[in-house]
Amino acid sequence: MEINTISIFLIIRYLFFVYAITTIGSYIVLAIISAVETVAYMKKNSFVNYKEILSSNIAPSISIIAPAYNESLNIIENVRSLLSNHYVNYDVIIVNDGSKDDSLEKLIVAYDLVKVEHLINQQIPTKPLREGIFKSTNPAFEKLIVVDKENGGKADALNTGLNISQNKYVACIDVDCLLLEEALQKMIKPFLESTDTKVIAAGGVIRIANSCIIRDGKLIDVNLPKKMLEKGQILEYIRAFLLGRMAWSRLNGLLVISGAFGMFDKKIAIEVGGYDTKTVGEDMEIIVRMRGFMEEQKEKYKVAYIPDPLCWTEAPDNYKIFISQRNRWTRGTIETLRKHRKIGFNPKYNSMGLLSYPYWLFFERLAPLIEVLGILYFAILVVLGQVRWDYTAAFIIMAYLFTVLFSIVAILSEELTYHQYKKKGIGYNLLKIAFLEPFAIHPFIVYSAVVGNIDYYFNKKKKWGEMTRKGMTNPETI
Amino acid sequence: MNNNQYFFEYLQNSPPIIELVWFMIGVSLLSILILIIYLKYLRTHLRSNEKIRETYQMKYELHLITYLYSGNEEETISPEQQTIIDELKKDLSDSFKRSIVVATLLKLKNEISGELDESIQKLYYQTGLINFSISKLRSRKWYVVAKGVRELTQFHIKEVHDEVITLINHPKNEVRKEMQLYLVNLFSFKGLDFLDVLQTPLSEWDQIQLLEVLQRFDDQQVFDIKPWLKSSNDSVVTFALKLADIYIQFQAKEDLIELLDHKSEKIRIELINVLGNLNIIEAKTILKNHFIERSQQEQIAFFKMMEKMPESDDESFLLEYIHHENFEIKLSALKILKMINSNTFNIQKHKGTEPDFVKIVEYLENN
Repeated sequence: MEINTISIFLIIRYLFFVYAITTIGSYIVLAIISAVETVAYMKKNSFVNYKEILSSNIAPSISIIAPAYNESLNIIENVRSLLSNHYVNYDVIIVNDGSKDDSLEKLIVAYDLVKVEHLINQQIPTKPLREGIFKSTNPAFEKLIVVDKENGGKADALNTGLNISQNKYVACIDVDCLLLEEALQKMIKPFLESTDTKVIAAGGVIRIANSCIIRDGKLIDVNLPKKMLEKGQILEYIRAFLLGRMAWSRLNGLLVISGAFGMFDKKIAIEVGGYDTKTVGEDMEIIVRMRGFMEEQKEKYKVAYIPDPLCWTEAPDNYKIFISQRNRWTRGTIETLRKHRKIGFNPKYNSMGLLSYPYWLFFERLAPLIEVLGILYFAILVVLGQVRWDYTAAFIIMAYLFTVLFSIVAILSEELTYHQYKKKGIGYNLLKIAFLEPFAIHPFIVYSAVVGNIDYYFNKKKKWGEMTRKGMTNPETI
Repeated sequence: MNNNQYFFEYLQNSPPIIELVWFMIGVSLLSILILIIYLKYLRTHLRSNEKIRETYQMKYELHLITYLYSGNEEETISPEQQTIIDELKKDLSDSFKRSIVVATLLKLKNEISGELDESIQKLYYQTGLINFSISKLRSRKWYVVAKGVRELTQFHIKEVHDEVITLINHPKNEVRKEMQLYLVNLFSFKGLDFLDVLQTPLSEWDQIQLLEVLQRFDDQQVFDIKPWLKSSNDSVVTFALKLADIYIQFQAKEDLIELLDHKSEKIRIELINVLGNLNIIEAKTILKNHFIERSQQEQIAFFKMMEKMPESDDESFLLEYIHHENFEIKLSALKILKMINSNTFNIQKHKGTEPDFVKIVEYLENN
């Protein structure tokens, strides 16, 4: 009996060890692939003249779809920022998703809007219009279309935009995101460049704008915020976007492009039925569904990724909102992976089924749970007096140092490529975060993920969490 | 010392897995230390590089302005100019400084025109910068070759045409693209001859760039797109269709109509759009006769084409499609019907109850 217990303990220990080594190994492999891909991208794009595409009226037309819910505080400035993009052929569709505030009234006054007749090809079912569709009488805002509809959530608002857009490509973004002037031409490039593979979607890097100086919808100065939480997220984003997604892009295994800014081939997005309104992870879900569709059609396709920092957004600056956001991300991941479980480990779906899906399942979906299980198991061992403290110390130090090392590699990658944080002292600050982040941020991420799991299984009514924004044009944040 | 000894003894007595963990700790620590030092060096280097670049840029700008305004009327090099040439030549051996000289020259070149522009061109030869650009064409690294071609394009060096054209089917798209831009920038429509022998695909991105360059020329001379319409390279055919559309190549009508049976659906759809824009009525009858055999995207394109050239003869054809399951076809059919015969439209509008049909009719009545 005692031998059996010891064997079980030993097996569990080895399972944890194998999981840890596989995680570390996968991070190392991804970092290497990412480095190779980044170098290739930088070389390739050093020749691109974006200005020619920028001014070309032959360039394909794009619709920017931005859902807005109770964004009255900053809606005028946010729309102005979206309208100031330098691309020629584009329009901006603001979908006011049943806001209870005066967003629509403000837009009507600021942009001289009048109600227009607009024929909608309702290819994706959505909530009905409320006040209708508005366009500006001022030629300066001719690119602007405002849609006022009943509340149906972000996905429903995006679907309305997909139905209304007359263009071949759509860029779905969060209305409060700051898009850089070259964002659209950089995002459209992979769609136009590919000759033998159909590009179905493209995602860009999202950077954190907290404490940055933004004037008239333009990024003037990049700063590092003061709060540990915000700084930690900056490092986390650099790591995720420069190391993780870049590598997955190389493997053509991207399963998610950020909901804050992504571009789609509208025809395919509509063909698969648009965004799923029943999930809180609609940005990941639509990519998985589009990829699944292309695999089923046996068509050669790609989800492209642009490592340039094109979109800047506001990140949560307090732990309550941060936890709520991460909780939602966790539920979104679970919902998507569950909904598309037939893809997992299915050779019919090629690398998506055999590589991307299993990776997401083991190292994204299950990682926080395994971490918590590890802690519980350790607690049991402590109670049973079965802990070799010297061994424990060695393992903890190794895990910690690897985390720090990985973060430093990400910082270096950022310096060698985009070097956005130029100011003196920021380098030291970023290094400090690399050492402190495992204590200051990581426990909250694990906590949010665990609560997200509990909410998913036992609190089905929970939808989007609270996300109070200060606004990037608010003097306090600049 | 005792501590070290104790640690090594401890390691020797530990299981291999723990030895491995400590080894990894050592490697991680060392890597972190090295990377921190490198990061410090890199950030300092990048900052100082930026400052040095600014300083040199200012220095070269001053040199170049002095050079431009110290010329003499006999078109020979003045002593002051010679001094500047000599100084620049000295700096050109350093690739960092050379890149700043080239960037400064190009910046000035874009800001000036006429005689001053010619002087910059002359300086490019006199300093020997041209040799550096040409030597890049022979590099093994594709990005160096591409950079070389770009410089030669920006400085309008026509005499290396024969060498540049050899890159036509280079395995790297970026090199091919620079080569194509070189030809079109320097030789205008004549530069498009490379399409005759192009085997690799010309992406839509490349096509837009070439068309943008072509539109900059004052002399929009007529050229023959017919051979390209017959190309076995589909991307060349697509590009020729764009040329036909923009430069209204009505004379290629017969060849365009022949393409209606092209194997590529993408080309057929593009072609239908072009035929509509060029108002080639003959194509309408052909398309009508084989309408059902065409893909839905072609059918939609055809209805868009019909919207551009409505005729009363279309009525019976349109009546067949006003209740089509596809929204766009239905919308187009009703729209054209209203345009050519409002009486028939008014009779037909009551004959449908399907929601989309009603919605379209309502919309058309109000607009």
